[in-house]
Amino acid sequence: MSSTSDDKRRATRLLRWYPPAWRERYGEEFVDHLEQEFADRHFDARRSLNVAFKGLVARADDFGLSNRALSPGGQTRAALATTFALIALMAVLALNSWSWAMLMWSARTYHPIPVDATTGVLAVVTGILLLVLVAIMLVVLVSAARQIVRGRGRRLMGPIIFAAASVACFCYFLPPWLPGMFARYSHMFQGGYRWTHPGPAAYGLAFIAHSVTQPWVSMWDPGISGEPTSQAVMNDLAPLAVLVFAVAMAFLVRRVELPHITRRLGSATVVLLGSLSGVFLSTLVIWFTFGGPIYATFGETGDIGGVAYLVFMALVIVLVARMGVLARRNEPHRGRNHIVILGANSESA
Amino acid sequence: MTNSIEGLGRNAGAAVLILSSLAGGDKHGYALVKDVEEFAGVHLAPGTLYQVLARLETRGLITALKADERRRPYRLTAKGAGVLAEYFTAQQRILKTGQARLKRTWSLA
Repeated sequence: MSSTSDDKRRATRLLRWYPPAWRERYGEEFVDHLEQEFADRHFDARRSLNVAFKGLVARADDFGLSNRALSPGGQTRAALATTFALIALMAVLALNSWSWAMLMWSARTYHPIPVDATTGVLAVVTGILLLVLVAIMLVVLVSAARQIVRGRGRRLMGPIIFAAASVACFCYFLPPWLPGMFARYSHMFQGGYRWTHPGPAAYGLAFIAHSVTQPWVSMWDPGISGEPTSQAVMNDLAPLAVLVFAVAMAFLVRRVELPHITRRLGSATVVLLGSLSGVFLSTLVIWFTFGGPIYATFGETGDIGGVAYLVFMALVIVLVARMGVLARRNEPHRGRNHIVILGANSESA
Repeated sequence: MTNSIEGLGRNAGAAVLILSSLAGGDKHGYALVKDVEEFAGVHLAPGTLYQVLARLETRGLITALKADERRRPYRLTAKGAGVLAEYFTAQQRILKTGQARLKRTWSLA
């Protein structure tokens, strides 16, 4: 093999560190540049490390985690997509934490006032968080359907197939026991849902939410003895399906042609989701601090699992907050009245 | 998005070198590296070069010209020239102040 084709192969391999959009824009000239570099110095480990590291930085840029390389509109869209994926994963933990907190809270008659208050705040924040996520999903799915009808939906098919496959996994996972649970709860425990009595209704929702999310949260659930192997496999695939669903929806958010008003609301939505997540985690910590009934065993996952999930939620909030700030700062209409203040001429010898 | 060179953070140094090189005429990536090596004695690694080129282009400080086969030359924009001039003015002020103080206190420079 000639050294030229070898150099080209090496350069092309190094290019893989970069995200597709970057490769499309700079790939050809970058490969050419690397080939010339290889001709000067054939092997240089620091050069390879530099390319790999900067490729990872470009990938972080591509996710909306920095404001260094994306256009203002692209920044908001990337931030919204990444936020959706992160918050969707966090929402599973939030739903699980809230449902378990609500069940434990309902099981005891006396609580300190902060525990009562924080349980209520957790319920409200979890509800709003889920409503915002559902609203985003509806807007994205309707926009995607419209785009497909107009014959411009080719790039959407991949994410849609993955999202649909993960939803199918949930559907296979849920039906065997969910109707039974509704029936059991409705007839034996509380005598049915009475929406005029929000307490029992919230308890019922918490009971179902916990049963649904627990297998997703506890990796991996030992399963129920005697269940068919196919069902056990699907149960074990449930956490993976959540991840696939979140990532597929994020790709869809990035690729779909969103209505103009939604694009303008994008950065505000990221900030809203970040704020809600922040309120949720702070409230959960206050709930633990004031003796919430499950502070010792977080969500039945054990101490290590509980701490890991808390750290994950904190990380999500930090990332979403950063993306929200960057997206707000880089909104196209924000630059109109921007005044650049030049360096003050204050230094004197 | 700030338009000053300081807004580029850790890439500010490389950005000044690239803008200074392009101030002398249009160049593609490898010609830029060679020029910077010649006038500043600094070798810009390929990852760093293209990271900074992308950021300067996003900020409108440079513009990419039509590719000549696989090589794409870059050109300094009027905005980029203004930002570079502004940066050098500020640096000159610092340079003069520092030199005056060194001369006065240490009899150096």
